[in-house]
Amino acid sequence: MSSISTSIKANEAYLRNQFESCSDVVFRSFILEDETLLLIVYLDGMTQLQSVESNILKPLLYSGLPQGLDRMQSLAGMFSREWLPLTNVKKDESLEDLVHHILQGSLGILVDGEASALLLQVQGYEKRSIEEPKKESTLRGSKEGFVENIRTNTSLIRRRILHPHLKMESYTIGKYTQTEVVLTYMQGLADEKVLSEVRKKLGEIELDGVIDSAYIEEWLENRPFSIFSQIQNTERPDIVTACLLEGKVALLTNGTPFALILPITFWSGLQSADDYFERFVFVILTRFIRYLMTFISFSLPALYVALTTFHPEMIPSTLMLSIAAARQSSPFPTVIEVFLMMIIFDGLQEAGVHLPTQLGSVVSIIGALIIGQAAVEAGIISTPIIIVISLTGIAAYTIPRYSAALPFRIIRYLLLFISALLGFMGFALGMIFLMIHLVMLESFGKPFMSPIAPFDGKRFRDLIIRYPFWIKNGRNKKERQT
Amino acid sequence: MIRFVLLACVSLTLALISSGCTDFVEPNQLAGVLGTAIDHGEDGMIEVSHQIVIPSQLEGPSKGGGSGNSNPFLVMSATGQDVFQATQKIQFKMSRRLITNHRSIIAISEEYFRRNDVRKLFDKLFRDPANNLRDIIVLIKGSSAKEFIMLKHPIESLSSIGAAKELQINGMSGFSSRQFLIDSFLKGSRPLIPVLQIESLKRSPKKTDPTALLSGFAVLDHNLKIKGLLDVEEGSGALWMMGKGTYHGATVPWKNGIVSLRLTQLHRRISSAAGQDPKRIVLTVKAQAYLLENSSQRDMSEADNMVELQKGINEQIQKELQGTIDKVQRWGPDVFGIGEYLHRQNPYWWKSQEDDWDEKFKNIDVSVKADILLRSTGVSGAPLK
Repeated sequence: MSSISTSIKANEAYLRNQFESCSDVVFRSFILEDETLLLIVYLDGMTQLQSVESNILKPLLYSGLPQGLDRMQSLAGMFSREWLPLTNVKKDESLEDLVHHILQGSLGILVDGEASALLLQVQGYEKRSIEEPKKESTLRGSKEGFVENIRTNTSLIRRRILHPHLKMESYTIGKYTQTEVVLTYMQGLADEKVLSEVRKKLGEIELDGVIDSAYIEEWLENRPFSIFSQIQNTERPDIVTACLLEGKVALLTNGTPFALILPITFWSGLQSADDYFERFVFVILTRFIRYLMTFISFSLPALYVALTTFHPEMIPSTLMLSIAAARQSSPFPTVIEVFLMMIIFDGLQEAGVHLPTQLGSVVSIIGALIIGQAAVEAGIISTPIIIVISLTGIAAYTIPRYSAALPFRIIRYLLLFISALLGFMGFALGMIFLMIHLVMLESFGKPFMSPIAPFDGKRFRDLIIRYPFWIKNGRNKKERQT
Repeated sequence: MIRFVLLACVSLTLALISSGCTDFVEPNQLAGVLGTAIDHGEDGMIEVSHQIVIPSQLEGPSKGGGSGNSNPFLVMSATGQDVFQATQKIQFKMSRRLITNHRSIIAISEEYFRRNDVRKLFDKLFRDPANNLRDIIVLIKGSSAKEFIMLKHPIESLSSIGAAKELQINGMSGFSSRQFLIDSFLKGSRPLIPVLQIESLKRSPKKTDPTALLSGFAVLDHNLKIKGLLDVEEGSGALWMMGKGTYHGATVPWKNGIVSLRLTQLHRRISSAAGQDPKRIVLTVKAQAYLLENSSQRDMSEADNMVELQKGINEQIQKELQGTIDKVQRWGPDVFGIGEYLHRQNPYWWKSQEDDWDEKFKNIDVSVKADILLRSTGVSGAPLK
């Protein structure tokens, strides 16, 4: 830690050394009327130049310093106290800090003969405006989504909770990126144990850089090898707000529109923001459909294979006959057919994600026409399998969050293989393993299958029925009093 | 963790290889048996015929009709000492594995019933877990069961499914082999099975087709010997009294005319009359009646007539059902399960009666009581004048 020296030459030499080959750092020194030497350092593109010009350079150069003041004490101090028309002014005495702040977009003013620097927060850079969240769209509700700038994001939350108990603790993570991470929670509602665990883990992170919140997510998780993510990500400020009010904790990361929410349960992935915006009676129906579809999304191919090849007696006779008729000329065993179609489906999906939108239609045409129709007509793939796979695919899309659907795509393959080996017995085994894993999983001390195992009647009912808010509020009040 | 993953990979690979991954049978390696016919063969042999479906010949919407003459099933038969041996002989001639789980009908010829001990046959049918016990057992009168199973059904593409559906749709459920099994194992009840007969039906001016029609019900005794045949009307009433009926149509004479009724919500209740005497039984049948036709020139919108009609049909149906019971009692087998009722009511008394119940049932005094509620008299009141 080297402190700022009184010699402006030495300071400038230090800074120039630090910012060697940094073409975007601007050094500007000038002399005032009374022969005072000033040095201004800032990052071009990170500062609002207009503000710098009108608030700093113009007054200093044109009108000079106000007369008759005891400027000899500290010019910088005087600036910050009474002169510069800016709100966010800091004084700094260490060179490292000065460098750090300049990198963040502050404007540093060094005065000859003074061992301190004045930092003016005049950051301003081009950023994306607030847009509708694309990954989690809802029919009703706020159209605002998080952006890359963390201050915009914190303000999006702050605007929704006008209460001093909303806390935002700032952390800087990443050796080189120095990314700002904000831990936000409601004081009094959030669990202190969770908070201290998160704080501890945030302190332990050793990363060169934080490009996305996913980097932090992986450091925080208790069971990193599980296929289920124990932290939810969202780009909707309204979801974050709702979660904060439920006593959860959110992490915002600079540079990404995805906030992290923890702790979560298995079921939070299956709930959509829409559930709380639509009429509650209708929501009961959609939730049931969603739960059913979630089950279908990972079990149907396995069930189909187990039923048709191991237990044909369990299928109604006429259905069995149609399946047998459709399979009349299929060259591959059912398992291979299903496996091929699953690979193709996942491949199409993967291609669709990465292709530019103009080429997206090409994939759908190839997928629908060539694979769907031609393969069946050629007799390579039987029709029931196309139905099974497309139903499975659609079922996976009913899961409202993309990352919550990913584990089911893995389970789909695992269950398929074990069912192809052992039939229903294998399916049952697979489900038992899945259940054991889910029940053992924890998200920051909270059991992952929470309202079901361990069973909690009141919250279990909320899984099935989304009660109207007046009932829910009554319950919450009671809980808070105790 | 890495060791665990490696272990998992190795064991999965081993499991895949060692199991051979060939335990499964694809649907196109199976030959679904939809119906089985049992006939009497010479020298104590048994002739088994399987109706085997050919999936590719089934009319599917994608095939666009196909040829109308193609038969969606074939019948393979063989003789053997028992069902398994005969089936094995058929299997040797097939390119696909026979699967009997989807069988919907077992047809047994009357001749076989008369000349063999049927109990031995059913042992195979019930012991093998590959039987789903949902199939219906029917008796074929007048011709061989093989002939029946070769017939084409006028509506359904598969005749055995057609026959099963015919019984189902007419409210005659409870003929599954599971029910048959229960009835024949219980000491206090006896099985009743439907009887089909092949008749020539003229369905178009040029063609006369042989068609299997329901001609009645056979009453079997404890040794599964046929004791008597009920006609379709009586059989339907008997089903009601057995507690298996779901629908009954009644046409009864009333006041110089005829009334027709549809009876739904059929129930029956057995009770001992006069307190303790187990030999006097009252069988109460309950139903809701809907008047559908009335040629008696009475205005049915009048309450008096309604009360009178309800009384009339109760008397008439009581008389008919009593006739059926008396007929069955003369033969002996207790198809109504009255013995089971007595078993539960008087377990100690039953112990002395359970052997040779067929004979003792003849001496039980069973009286029928009808409790029919006239629900509706239809939309029109008075008949046209």
